[in-house]
Amino acid sequence: MEAPATGRCPHCDASVLSPTDTFCCSGCEVAWALVHEAGLEAWYERREVPGQRPEGLSGAWDAVEPRRAADGSCEVSLVVDGLRCASCTWVVERLLERADGVERATVSYATGRTRVVFDPARTDVRNLAQVIADVGYSPRPLDAPAPSDDLLGRLGIAAFCTANLMLLSASLYAGWADGMEARFQALFRWGSLALATPIAMYAAAPFFQGAWRGLQVRAVGMDVPIALAVSVLYVHGGLQTLAGAEGYLDSLGMLVTLLLAGRVLEKRGRRAAAEASAAIAAALPVSARRRTVRGVEDVLVAALVPGDIVEVGAGEEVPADGAVVDGRAAVQMAMVTGETEPVDAGPGTALVAGASVISGSVGLRVEHVGADTVAMRMADAVREASSRPLPPNPVDRLAPAFTVGVLALAGVAGLVWALLAGPSRGIEVAVAVLVVACPCALGLSVPLAVASGLGAIARRGVVLRDGAQLLTLADARTLAMDKTGTVTGGQPVVLGASDDVLQLASALERSSRHPVARALLAESERRGLPLALPEWVEEVPGVGIRGRVSGRSLVLRSGGPGAVLLEEEGRPLGLVRLGDRPRDDARAAIALLERAGLHTVLLSGDHPEVTSRIAEAVGVQEARGGLTPEAKSEALAAQPGPVVFVGDGLNDGAALAAADVGLSMHSGVTSSLLIADGVVTQAALRPVVAAVAGARATRDTVRANVTRSLVYNAVAVGAAALGFVNPLVAAVLMPLSSALVIAGALSVDRRLAALEASWTSS
Amino acid sequence: MDILLILIPVAIGLGAVFATLFVLAARSGQFEDLDDPGTRILHDD
Repeated sequence: MEAPATGRCPHCDASVLSPTDTFCCSGCEVAWALVHEAGLEAWYERREVPGQRPEGLSGAWDAVEPRRAADGSCEVSLVVDGLRCASCTWVVERLLERADGVERATVSYATGRTRVVFDPARTDVRNLAQVIADVGYSPRPLDAPAPSDDLLGRLGIAAFCTANLMLLSASLYAGWADGMEARFQALFRWGSLALATPIAMYAAAPFFQGAWRGLQVRAVGMDVPIALAVSVLYVHGGLQTLAGAEGYLDSLGMLVTLLLAGRVLEKRGRRAAAEASAAIAAALPVSARRRTVRGVEDVLVAALVPGDIVEVGAGEEVPADGAVVDGRAAVQMAMVTGETEPVDAGPGTALVAGASVISGSVGLRVEHVGADTVAMRMADAVREASSRPLPPNPVDRLAPAFTVGVLALAGVAGLVWALLAGPSRGIEVAVAVLVVACPCALGLSVPLAVASGLGAIARRGVVLRDGAQLLTLADARTLAMDKTGTVTGGQPVVLGASDDVLQLASALERSSRHPVARALLAESERRGLPLALPEWVEEVPGVGIRGRVSGRSLVLRSGGPGAVLLEEEGRPLGLVRLGDRPRDDARAAIALLERAGLHTVLLSGDHPEVTSRIAEAVGVQEARGGLTPEAKSEALAAQPGPVVFVGDGLNDGAALAAADVGLSMHSGVTSSLLIADGVVTQAALRPVVAAVAGARATRDTVRANVTRSLVYNAVAVGAAALGFVNPLVAAVLMPLSSALVIAGALSVDRRLAALEASWTSS
Repeated sequence: MDILLILIPVAIGLGAVFATLFVLAARSGQFEDLDDPGTRILHDD
């Protein structure tokens, strides 16, 4: 099957270099053929967005361990980037399913998560990833999914049993006032015990497991008082039922159901965040072209040794650190410096592994390979910094004191009453203290408020990975930002050019992948300028681009810093001024952050002069330019903490990991950022303000909730210890305290809005 | 009122059947992804 030559690439819809070409590049040609071979050409009809150029497969696929099932098949989870419409998920699923050895593949359009079940004897994870990469999507390895703990099923059982328990208990309480036939009383009491049994034995199992794990390592978390309360309530209720008295088992049901609901919410929030920012291996190429006496051979990067000379051409990535020996090229070093502006590399220029060559080609003498490269050392630093433990959740710190306090009080009160009124009264009071000391409100206070806070900031554009970071963010004193791509848009934009110069320059650049070309084309499109198809073009590394458009011989070359110059046969036609512009909302957002009491700092790898110009434009308090990635993380350590860092590139990795809370800007071009604690999902800074407000609202809510539950417990336990507790009072107080905590959690959103409004108006 | 002695256990028993079905559905992963099945109907293959 032949594709018609239409001037646009049938796979990615880019315009082709020469009018006789069908495809823009060989990668697209292969992708197009693959889709047709698999009989999936319908995708080209039904997709809403053009495909992407295949960029090759990167990542540490050999290290990915699939999960083995009992029947010998394997399952692996990946994240596929670049899914733009529902048809994309369709084509990826079908291609995978038609690949050899694949039993089943499902792709989630919402998250890009892909699950593949395959036969390990016939294929492996790298092959599967290759299938996806061949058509232009980017697969990334995803951490193996945690084994399911079936929380949702347990919650279902707990909720069902509790609802029925409440019906029975309400009848019993009504009967208490009005009188009730003994046989109905017996039915309702034994029915209650029957309903409470699955709650205590099945639904509450995660709390017992957690308490047991905690006790083994001598750490009393929130699970210990919960497990204790469940046991006491169940045993006490059972004994009461046997004795023909009221069991109050509905409070057991309430306790377990609400706590499980809190856990389910917490887990959902955390999983959504983890998927939004799954970890990625540093994207280094796997093969290289090495010069030998006979010519050029393809070798694996692992086989390179210092002293080898490798060739790197346009569209390729530099495989190792080294120095250029011959040739010229425009090289983008974004991975190390964060600047998207390509540098001109000629003999003597030092290049690092992972940098990408935009045009031209060079011979490179290899100096460092593999683990010694700057990129891998950076990745190591990141891994080290991100393995530090999370700060403990404030309620887990309270839990031991709570447990010990309640146990001690129950013991003392029991003993005192035993001496005063005999042993049976002593046991009764001790049990009453244990029953009424409700860890429910305390256990719910943090997960509910945090889940509510995570949801509130996610709706405003910041997805955080973990609730612990939300509480750290609330206490932050410094907010440091990267310049390029964070405070600014990250891509050069046209700041000034006349229509006719722009039109000719854009026509020359229409097939180039250079960031300047993108800026010119975007501006021409905005101004609605029609572009001629050039008769020929040639990229001249180190000079610029030349070619013939509408019969005129043109050269587009550098015109000094921040500008390109268009010449016709040596005669200048005009300048196009380019620059990186601060985001539209940067100034306003930074002003709000300062009103929130944060010290704002701009840290950049760019020239100090450019950095301070941008700093002035957006109004940050402190600006430092010319920083290497390591210097950035050192600069963070010198700031008053906790420190929040907002960055955007792999070069910010060390700083993101070193900061107490690292937020990465989600740029549509590279979804690179994955070491961060959270992702800003909009191309704006305003969501960061909302995140700080949301974090503080959550912190305040948690504090209020903990206070409420402690006040409840102090009052109720005190009354029980003094022997005042009427079981009916306990049955009413317990759900009431939980309801207060739930109402508190729901107030996070309102508190967030109030905080933001106070910053805006002050 | 004797009918209560039969009807209450029967009602709870019926409810328990549905609760069990829910647990089975949760275990088989039916609630893992609530967004995609909606777009899947658009694929006619």
